[in-house]
Amino acid sequence: MARIHLEQVGHSYGGGTYALEKADLVFEEGLTYALLGPSGCGKTTMLNIISGLVRPSDGRVLVGGTDMTDVPTVRRNIAQVFQFPVVYRSKTVFENLAFPLRCRGWNTTRLRPRVEEIAELLGMSKRLGQSARNLTADEKQLVSLGRGLVREDVAALLMDEPLTVIDPQMKSDLRRRIKQANARTRHTVVYVTHDQNEAMTFADEVLVMRAGRVVQRGGAQELFENPRDTYVGTFIGSPGMNFMAAERIGGRIGFAGVALLPATAANEVPDAADLRIGIRPEHLAFSNDGEQGIPASVNFVQDQGSFLIVDLTVASQTIKVKVRREVRIPSGPARLSFPAERLRLYADGALLTP
Amino acid sequence: MSLVVQELSLVRNGVPHLGGVSATFPRGQLTAVIGRTLAGKTTLLRVIAGLQAIDGGMLDLDGRPFGRLPAWKRDVAMVYQQFINYPHLSVFENVAFPLRKKRLARTEVERRVREVLSTVGLADFGKRRPSAISGGQQQRVALARALVREANILLLDEPLVNLDYKLREQLRDEFRSLFSTQEHSVVIFNTTDPAEAMMIADQIVVMHEGRIAQIGKPADVFEAPVSVAVAEIINDPPMNILAGRIDGDGLLLGEGLRLPAPPRLATLPRRAYRFGVRAGELAPADEAPLVGAVTFSEVSGSETTLHVAGEKGSVVLQLEGVFVMPPGTRIGVAIPADRLFVFEDDGEGRLISAPAAIGGS
Amino acid sequence: MMPRFYSALKYAAVLIWSAFVLAPFMWALTTSFKTANGVTGGPTYLPWIQYKPSLHGWESLFGGAGGIDIVQPYIDSIIVTVGASIISIVLGTLAAYGLSRFQYRAGFVKNSDIVFFFISQRIMPPIVLAIPFFLMLQFLGLLDTKTGLIIVYIALLLPIAVWIMVDFFDGVPRAVDEMAMLDGCTPFEAFFKVVLPNSLPGILVALMFCLIFGWNDFFFAFTLTFTDTQLLPVAIVALNSSVTPWWSLSASALISVAPLVLIAFFVERLLSRGTLAGAIR
Repeated sequence: MARIHLEQVGHSYGGGTYALEKADLVFEEGLTYALLGPSGCGKTTMLNIISGLVRPSDGRVLVGGTDMTDVPTVRRNIAQVFQFPVVYRSKTVFENLAFPLRCRGWNTTRLRPRVEEIAELLGMSKRLGQSARNLTADEKQLVSLGRGLVREDVAALLMDEPLTVIDPQMKSDLRRRIKQANARTRHTVVYVTHDQNEAMTFADEVLVMRAGRVVQRGGAQELFENPRDTYVGTFIGSPGMNFMAAERIGGRIGFAGVALLPATAANEVPDAADLRIGIRPEHLAFSNDGEQGIPASVNFVQDQGSFLIVDLTVASQTIKVKVRREVRIPSGPARLSFPAERLRLYADGALLTP
Repeated sequence: MSLVVQELSLVRNGVPHLGGVSATFPRGQLTAVIGRTLAGKTTLLRVIAGLQAIDGGMLDLDGRPFGRLPAWKRDVAMVYQQFINYPHLSVFENVAFPLRKKRLARTEVERRVREVLSTVGLADFGKRRPSAISGGQQQRVALARALVREANILLLDEPLVNLDYKLREQLRDEFRSLFSTQEHSVVIFNTTDPAEAMMIADQIVVMHEGRIAQIGKPADVFEAPVSVAVAEIINDPPMNILAGRIDGDGLLLGEGLRLPAPPRLATLPRRAYRFGVRAGELAPADEAPLVGAVTFSEVSGSETTLHVAGEKGSVVLQLEGVFVMPPGTRIGVAIPADRLFVFEDDGEGRLISAPAAIGGS
Repeated sequence: MMPRFYSALKYAAVLIWSAFVLAPFMWALTTSFKTANGVTGGPTYLPWIQYKPSLHGWESLFGGAGGIDIVQPYIDSIIVTVGASIISIVLGTLAAYGLSRFQYRAGFVKNSDIVFFFISQRIMPPIVLAIPFFLMLQFLGLLDTKTGLIIVYIALLLPIAVWIMVDFFDGVPRAVDEMAMLDGCTPFEAFFKVVLPNSLPGILVALMFCLIFGWNDFFFAFTLTFTDTQLLPVAIVALNSSVTPWWSLSASALISVAPLVLIAFFVERLLSRGTLAGAIR
C-alpha cells in the first residue's frame, strides 16, 4: 500500500486536445476514491495512467515517493478489477483466490489462512470447493475482486465499473460486500464509475470529472450540499438542484422581486455575470402562512411513493420541489419558502463562497 | 376496449414461469408490471407478443382472441432492456422499417418518421448508425421505432434499466408525454423500480413468482399492499418485515421489542403476526426501543439508506439528505407503532391492517 | 517526439516484413523470365543486365513447346471452385442459421454435437476419404467430371461455411430477429432482411476460406479426374519432367496464386471499412 501522487500529470492521445488536463492529484494510503463522470470525461484515462497501461504525456506518477512513470504495469504491483469478471473457469474458487499468491511462490499451508479470510470477507466461504465455471455473474465478480484483495502488499486496487454487468437487483448486495471487504483490508482503492449512487456509497472521497478535469473532489455530503458548479449540482441528487436566474435587488440578491441573500460574494463578480441561485428540491417547502414566501403555481405532481415531486412555475421559471408523501400540496397557487441557509449562489456556473 | 389475458400458464423444465395469470389492460392506459427479477414479467410480455408459446390460457383484444396468431400478424411493438436496433440500418431507416413493411406511401413514411424522431429528440440523428450514438440515444431509437407504428399493443421490458442514472431520470420524466400520442394503444411497461412504476403508470400489476399478486391504482397498491411480497416489491428500499405478536401487553416485534398497541391494532386477536414498516417512516432517536449498529450506509439519489443490525431486530432506514455513516456507528431507531402494517403470519402473508393512507396525489 | 520515433519504428518493421513476404514473389517473377542458363548461373535479379529475359516459361503454359495449355484447366478450376464455394455458402448459411436459432435434439445429440459433426469431417486425412469418394462418384457415373468434383468439394467446404456462420449468427442477438418479426416480418423475411445483412462479414470470410481451400486442392482433383477434366494444380504438376522447368513452374505459380491475392485484397478492404461491424450492446 502506498500514497499515489500524480504530479502535474496530463495526457493527450496523439498530441491533440488533452483527454486529461494537467493537474496535481494525491490519493492517500488506505482510502477509497471514486472517479465519477460520464463516458469520455477522462476517468478511464486516469485509471490507466495509475495502472501503467497509459504513459502520461506530461508529468510524473509517484507511488510511495518513487517515480513509477516509466515502470510497466506488471512491475507496478497493482491489482485491478474490470467491468467483466475474469475468472479461471477450470479452477475452483479456492484456486482462483489462491492464484496471485501461488504466482509469488506461496505454498498451500501458507496461503490457506489468507484465502479463507478473504473468502469469508466476501461471503464466499461455502463456495471455496466449487468450480468457478458454475458461479453467477455477481459471484464471479466477487471472485475477481477477491483475487485483488488477497495480496496484502498491492500498492493500489483499481476497479473499473465493476458492477456494469451485474443484475440491477444484485447490485446493492454486491456493493455492500465490496464495501465491507474494503473497509477491512484498507487497501488504497480507486473506483471508476458513472453512477452517482455507487460513487457516493463507496468512496471516502469522490472526484467528479468532466471534460478531462476534476471539477470537484470531496465527500458525498459535501458534493450534495455544496456543489462547486451547476454541473455537479445537477449531476448529484435526484432530482438535481434547481438553478434560478437571479437578479440584484437593492444591495441584495434575489429573484421574482424578492431579495433572498446578501450580495457580499456577488459584489466581486462583474455585473454582466450570469447569476443563479441554487437550491435542492428537498430543501424547498410550502409556506402555510399566506403572506410568507414567493408565489408559485403547481403544474403537476409526480407520485414516487414515499416522496412526491412537485413541478411548479415561479416567476416564469420551472422549479422542482421534493416533499414527503404526507405533505399536503396546494392545488393551483401556492407559496414557497426558500430557507436562506440552503441557498447557494453561482456566477457563470461556479459556486461563490460567501 | 382492452387487452384481456386469462389463466395464462407456462411450465418449463418443471419450473412454473406463469401460473394462471389473468389481467385486463385497457387501451389508452399505461400499465406498469412490477416484480423482482424472474417474477414472470418478461415471460408475460413475450407471451403477449407471440414470441413464447404457452401451455394454456386465452389472449384477446377487444373481444377477438389472438392467441393463435404468429408474432408477425399481431401488431405488437416491443422495446427491450438491451438497446436492440438493426445495426445495418441508419437511425431513420430503423424507425422506417416497420412502416415500410406495411407498404405505406413513401411521403407518409417520411412524415411519420420525422415526426416521431423529433418527439424523442433525435431529429438531427437520422443519418447516423446506431453504433455511432450513445446508449441513451440508442434506446430512444428503439422507442421511436415502437411508437411510430401506433401499434395496438406496445410492450416495454425494463427499457430504462441499462441507462445511466441521470438519463433514466430524464427519460422517466418524458415518458408520460411520449405515450400520450398512443391514446389508442395498450401500453405495458415492466420495471423493478417502484418509483418508476408509481410515477408513470395508470394501473399497476404486481407479479410474484409467476402469479399476479395485486392489481390496482398506484396509490392504492402503495397504501394497501395485499401481502408481504407486494409490500416488499412496491417499496424501495423494500418494506421492513419483522415477525412478532400481539398480546396483553401490546406489540412484541423481532427479538423482544416492545411497543404499545395503537387503537387500530388493540382490537386484533392476540396471536402471531408479521409486522411491516416502511424504511422512510423509521427515524433515528436517542431514546428508542431498538438500538443497533450501522452495518452499511448507501446513498440513493438524494436519500441515504442505513442498514442497522440490533439485538432486538434488524431494520433498514431511509433518511433524507446525503451523508456517510461509518459502519459500526450505534444508533437508536424510533418505530412509529401507528404506521405499522400487520400481515398474516403464514406463507402468503395476507394484509390484515394497514395504517391510514397519507397524502399522495 | 516519442510518438514520432515509435511510428518510424513501426514503419520500419512493416517494411522489413513486406520485404520478407514479397521476396519469394520477386524470385518467382524473375525466374519466370529466365531460361535454363539464367537459372543455373547463380542468384541474378536484374533482367538484360544480369540475365537475358525470355518468354519461354510463360509460352510453355499456353501450348508452347514442351509445355501444357493452362487455359482450359484454369477455366475448369474457376468453375469447380466458385461453384462449390457458392453452393456451400448458401447451404452452410441456412444450416448455420437453423443451428444458431433453433434447438434440435435427437436422443443425446444436441446442436453443439451437430456442429462438431460438421467439423469432424475435416479431421480425417484426405486419403481416408479418397476411396469412398471414388466409389461413390463411380456409382453415380461422375468420375472425371466437373460435377463430380463440385459435389466432393461441397462435402469438404460445407463444414467450414457452417462453422464460421454459426459463430456469426450467434453474435447477432436473437432479439434482433424477434424484433423483425414483431415489425411484421415472417421468419424468412427476418432472416433475409435483418440477420443476413448483419452477417455479411461472416459470409465474406467464409466465402474466402471456401475459395482458398477449393482452389488449392490437389489431392481430390488428382484422384478423381483423369483426362476429360483437369484442374489447375494437376495440370501444373504435369509440367514437371526429368529436368525441373523452374521458369514455367514459376510462371504457373504466379498465375495460380493471382486470384487468391485478389480475393484476399478485396475481402480485407471490405472488412476494414468497418461499416459492417455490429452496433449491438
